[in-house]
Amino acid sequence: MNLRTRFMSMSLRIKFILPIAAMLVVSMLAISGYLVRRQSESFRHELEVTGETMVRVLAIDAESGVLFGSKYDLEELLKAPTQFDVVTYTSIKSVDGSILAQIGDSAKQAVGIMTAEDSILNDTSHKFTYTTGADGNEYLVITRPIVTVKRAVSRENLGLTGGLDSTLTGGVTTEIIGHIEMGLSLEHVNRSILEAKIASYFLTAIIVIGTILMLTFIVGVVVRPVTRLVKVTDRVSHGDLDVKVEINQTDEIGHLARTFNNMIESLRQSRAEIERYNKTLEEKIIERTQQLEEAQAQLIQSEKMGAIGQLAAGVAHELNNPLGGILGYAQFTLEKLLKNVPERTTTKEIQSYIRYVTDIEAQARRCKTIVQNLLRFSRSSRTVEFDDVDVNKTVEETLTFVGHQLHLNQIELQTVLDANLPHIQGNAGQLQQVFTNLIINAMHASLPGSTIMITSRFSPALGEFGGTVELSFLDHGTGIKDEHLKRIFEPFFTTKEVGKGTGLGLSVSYGIIKEHGGEISVQSAVGKGTTFTIVLPIQKPEPESDKEEKQRFSFGVR
Amino acid sequence: MSEAKKSILVVDDEEIIRDFLSEVLEDYAISLASDGDDAIEKIRSHKFDLVITDLRMPRVSGEEVVRFTRDTYPGSKVIVISGYSSLATVSQTVQNGACAFLAKPFSIKELLLSVEHALQDTAGN
Repeated sequence: MNLRTRFMSMSLRIKFILPIAAMLVVSMLAISGYLVRRQSESFRHELEVTGETMVRVLAIDAESGVLFGSKYDLEELLKAPTQFDVVTYTSIKSVDGSILAQIGDSAKQAVGIMTAEDSILNDTSHKFTYTTGADGNEYLVITRPIVTVKRAVSRENLGLTGGLDSTLTGGVTTEIIGHIEMGLSLEHVNRSILEAKIASYFLTAIIVIGTILMLTFIVGVVVRPVTRLVKVTDRVSHGDLDVKVEINQTDEIGHLARTFNNMIESLRQSRAEIERYNKTLEEKIIERTQQLEEAQAQLIQSEKMGAIGQLAAGVAHELNNPLGGILGYAQFTLEKLLKNVPERTTTKEIQSYIRYVTDIEAQARRCKTIVQNLLRFSRSSRTVEFDDVDVNKTVEETLTFVGHQLHLNQIELQTVLDANLPHIQGNAGQLQQVFTNLIINAMHASLPGSTIMITSRFSPALGEFGGTVELSFLDHGTGIKDEHLKRIFEPFFTTKEVGKGTGLGLSVSYGIIKEHGGEISVQSAVGKGTTFTIVLPIQKPEPESDKEEKQRFSFGVR
Repeated sequence: MSEAKKSILVVDDEEIIRDFLSEVLEDYAISLASDGDDAIEKIRSHKFDLVITDLRMPRVSGEEVVRFTRDTYPGSKVIVISGYSSLATVSQTVQNGACAFLAKPFSIKELLLSVEHALQDTAGN
């Protein structure tokens, strides 16, 4: 199981090559082993046949030599086989084991082969013995008895006992008279076997290597595109979709590659679509946010314009009265001057001219002030710049175009302004918008004949910004119900008839006061009146909190 | 001038307008009122040939002055002067019985023409 797991975890290439190579090696080794064995058997057999032939011939030829004990003849006889390299030694021994003749060095190589038992063998056949010599080499020793043939008569006369040679007929017996022994070196044979072994191993190695190389090539052809595919899938899985499998094959792998490429393409397309969608969404959000901000700014502006619209009658009256005076007096003066005869001009006439022109100047100044205030008031709130603001002056300027309205509604205005009020950091136009809003609201809530009181005072102890300026707008009007009081600074909350109020006045005022780092609060009792209190810090709020407030303001109006 | 001067009542809460009108209309017998109350008081005690009145005034408005004049002396003439003029205001004023409407700022010529025209009608009557 463990082996199997290990195998399964190997690469495809190894998985292919390893078992095939192993099988090849094993089978090649088995085949060559078998062949070598057969070869060596055949070599030995050949050697045995050769040796046996020689020994048999020698045994026949040695018969007389042994019988006559002619050492010379025997040695001459033994010289012939020594011409063969394989023959190490040849010796002829008597039945008792003594060496009658010997060629070659048996002592050195195969000494002691012939035992006493061997020597008394009466077997007429040959005998093979494989042995290792003192020099460590392997030898084949062939022994064969030397026999002589005897007649039956003489045999009996001689009184010899011995095995009956069946080949002989008619009372003919064979007698072993000695032994011939031949030592054959196996060196050549073994060398040949070794050569055969080496050759077969070499061949095996060549075939295995060749096969492995071929396999590698073939497996490579199959596996390479797969590896490429794997690399590409790896990159794809890491999110890189700009890759492509470069395989131009028509087989299954080629098909796989094409399918995979198609898959990447469709993935890329869908991702691009998602990205495009995301981008569009983001752009839309930015666009909408911008639109919302613009709408917000526009709302504040229109609220202000709405206030101006409410004031329009008053403002027109306010402007047209002095303009009426200016136009009238200018025409009047002009007419008089055109009729005037310089020599007859009286001091009185000159004095009246001066009075007219002085009136014109005064009324023109009045117009200028009104226009200036109006401009300051209507200036877009998008340019919110903080500056030194004299709150008392701002209140008075506001009254220049609200005052007439109050006058018309028969509402008395009382101002108790602290003469020692320090300047604050703020935007006069915005503050004027707040004051206008509060005064108009108070006016709408008040009955003719009642009084609105505006108070300003300095509170040095309050606040961490070097004190605060406190303003209150008090009326004796209808008052605000408790349930309305809670929602009074909410955007679009209004108790006025549809079309009469935007419901934004107080929420915009709230935003403006917050932007100044201040507070606006309200106390009211139904039937008794309402007081709005504004507390403004003298110093400009911290830029950070300023920004924060601005943000809150721009997103929530209030 | 042998015959009695024609009497005109000028009603306006703006001092500059009152001053100017009295200068321009110095040929007439001018009376001044600074608001509606004052005007109605004066109209009640004296019949003016012509009333020139502003519309927007505290307490008693110009409209009331016009109505009161028409009610008290059906034949008398009223000229309305106003700094805040809209078509609705003008038509309302005329319906109420004013014979002319002058939008502030108006020229002396306009004023004199209107006054003369109004008083001519009075003379005809």
